[in-house]
Amino acid sequence: MPGRPDRRSVLAAMAAVPLTGAVGACSGGNGASSAGTGRTTRITFWSALRGSQEVVDAFNRTHKSVQVDFQQIPSGGQGGYAKLSNAARAGNAPDVATIEYPQVPGFAIDGVARDITDLVSDSLRRKLLPQALAQTTFDQRVFSVPLDVEPMVMHYRTDLFDRYGLQVARTWDEFAEQARAVRRKAADRRLALFPTDGMTQFAAYAWQAGAQWFDTSKGAWNVSLADAPSRRVAEYWQRLIDRDDVFVNAVESRQSDAQIGNGLVLTRLSGAWDAGAQMNARPGQKGQWRIAPLPQWDAGSPAVGTHGGSTFAITKDSRRPEAAMEFIEWQVSHPDSLRARLSSGTSSQYPAALDLVSVGRKAFDRSYYGGQDIYGLYEQEAEKIGEGWLWGPRMSATQRVMQDSFARVGGGQGSLTESLRTAQEGTMPDLKALGLSTTQRST
Amino acid sequence: MTTTAQPRVPTDTSRVGDPALSPAGRRARRTAGRRRFGAVVVLMGPFFVLLTTVFLIPVGTAVYLSFYSDDQPGLGFGPENTVFVGLRSYAAVLSDPTFLGGLGTVALYCLIYIPLMVVGALVLALLLDSGVVRLRAVAQLGLFLPHAVPGLIAALIWLYLYTPGISPIIDLFARADITIDFLGIHAVIPSIVNIALWSNLGYNMVVFYAALQAVPREVIEASVVDGAGPVRTALQVKTPLVRASIVMVAIFTLIWALQLFTEPMLLSQSSPMISSRFSPSMYIYDAAFTRNNYSLAAAASVVLLVCTITLSYGVTRFTSRADAEEAR
Repeated sequence: MPGRPDRRSVLAAMAAVPLTGAVGACSGGNGASSAGTGRTTRITFWSALRGSQEVVDAFNRTHKSVQVDFQQIPSGGQGGYAKLSNAARAGNAPDVATIEYPQVPGFAIDGVARDITDLVSDSLRRKLLPQALAQTTFDQRVFSVPLDVEPMVMHYRTDLFDRYGLQVARTWDEFAEQARAVRRKAADRRLALFPTDGMTQFAAYAWQAGAQWFDTSKGAWNVSLADAPSRRVAEYWQRLIDRDDVFVNAVESRQSDAQIGNGLVLTRLSGAWDAGAQMNARPGQKGQWRIAPLPQWDAGSPAVGTHGGSTFAITKDSRRPEAAMEFIEWQVSHPDSLRARLSSGTSSQYPAALDLVSVGRKAFDRSYYGGQDIYGLYEQEAEKIGEGWLWGPRMSATQRVMQDSFARVGGGQGSLTESLRTAQEGTMPDLKALGLSTTQRST
Repeated sequence: MTTTAQPRVPTDTSRVGDPALSPAGRRARRTAGRRRFGAVVVLMGPFFVLLTTVFLIPVGTAVYLSFYSDDQPGLGFGPENTVFVGLRSYAAVLSDPTFLGGLGTVALYCLIYIPLMVVGALVLALLLDSGVVRLRAVAQLGLFLPHAVPGLIAALIWLYLYTPGISPIIDLFARADITIDFLGIHAVIPSIVNIALWSNLGYNMVVFYAALQAVPREVIEASVVDGAGPVRTALQVKTPLVRASIVMVAIFTLIWALQLFTEPMLLSQSSPMISSRFSPSMYIYDAAFTRNNYSLAAAASVVLLVCTITLSYGVTRFTSRADAEEAR
């Protein structure tokens, strides 16, 4: 039963990949940093990212003083996060755990992810994209290390764009016009899908528009899910939904698979990682897809939000945080780690470590995208990622309430703006019950 | 000789002090009392052990958890302390529109489900009792069998029948040009009621049937002699006589319905109309296991428990008052 799997988890699982055959290539001299201590430190690592076993094998092969025991766990929404919290409650959480961006504040507040500010070396700090590190830093303290950062982009069917005479939309207004044109020209096709299970997609739109759902600058959690930019986005998509210019259904569903597989939907608005997931899922559509920047609200001052991405945290139960950090640093910043991931041909992860972008550019097989330099595009888009966005303390709950309400909109009940308010109302009692200081200023 | 002598030995020793007067008599009474006390302990012990371990301790823990919380001041990134928070969690639960919505959903569910269940089971039991039905044993077994199917399996079976695309029933309707979405926004509660009815109707029917068997045959004969037809006998003679069972079934059904969980939990996999906080029990599950908010979950559990106790008490009081009035 496919059910309603967590979008972020799936994308995370897609983003990381088996690196079969690549392990041999990882025989760099990176063992040097850990050589010489003589004793072997064993650490444990949990991840739902597919291919983590191979990454771990490569690490173990090249390191002597630190050895990693890996355990594959279910993705977050499928029980992985519950497993991690329960293990932490029982006092036996792994040394290193994988946490997606939206869940970082929650695990930090619960004390599962430990404060690793002092463990993150200056050199690592310099390597990471500042907007990515800002997502894992709260109260000036770092709680996890970003692996990848995924600017939202527009994946589009170049063949169908040509057939209907469409140019890539630069603004959302153009996009809306095209949506109407597509429906007029082909009644069974739509330009895009509004995903009813897509809080993370909606967040990326809102982020791009300048929304700030959560803000901690005044010493309290300010929650404003229905701020002006978010309402603008909600009203925009509501119009498209009301005019029947977009599909409205879950993206993690057979229905959506069919829409993409049968060429009924002309674009996919999702993170950079989705390029690899698409290659893996639909090899038959090779050459039909290209990638473009997301349409803008104001073409003069472009902005973009992120959609997806994972981080690595060291848990409170770790007794070897230094060794754990060595492993994390290698995973997020060593070229072999990324090279291995990409060589499988199913990942298009955009690394949070800037040095690795050129590695990715070289290692990525461009044939599926007709030779397009997608890493070049990603690099350009990553620079536009808006600053100041924060995720909230109970994102899984906020997400569920919002998506439950989106689903009702899909069934013709309520509106997207109301969904934002519902999500706000469903989030506040939680935060209050946790004893957090909260405010609800709207911008 | 030895065989007869041996059993006499203990009897004799026990009787040694017997003929003596008050002190020995008191002792004997004390032994008897002790023996009776022992019997009480042995017979009642398991009940109290179970009551304590599976009811009092969990309820006590929930109440405790609902008043305490692991707090960090401000943004929440500091060290945690367990502190007494008073009614904070209760305030949060009762101000949470999703929880109140869940209570509303369950209230609606009860309003549809309980009358259908009680009336349906009673009608079936009366039909079986009246002798109208041939093959009574087969009918009884057929009606009771669904109750033997675990709720989870039942929900899976119905999920299959409700899901568009794989359901043969929806297919049949579609062939007759009727589109029906069992998991749509208006049909979802009736769909859940249907599963619950299917599972429990037979069981409650057996309860009623057993009660009907206990109705004295003379009374029924008398009513027949007085000219009452089968319908009148059923409604005005038999039904009032099984009143106690009706109240019992209503209370059990109410308690069971308030804890609505399995069916919507499973159906939520297929229907976006069933949210993760659809019923209070699902809210509690979600609060504890996706939101890691144990104080909130505990407070919600206590609220649900209080609602259940109040409603059950209300039903008993209401019916006993009605009884008293009738007796007058």
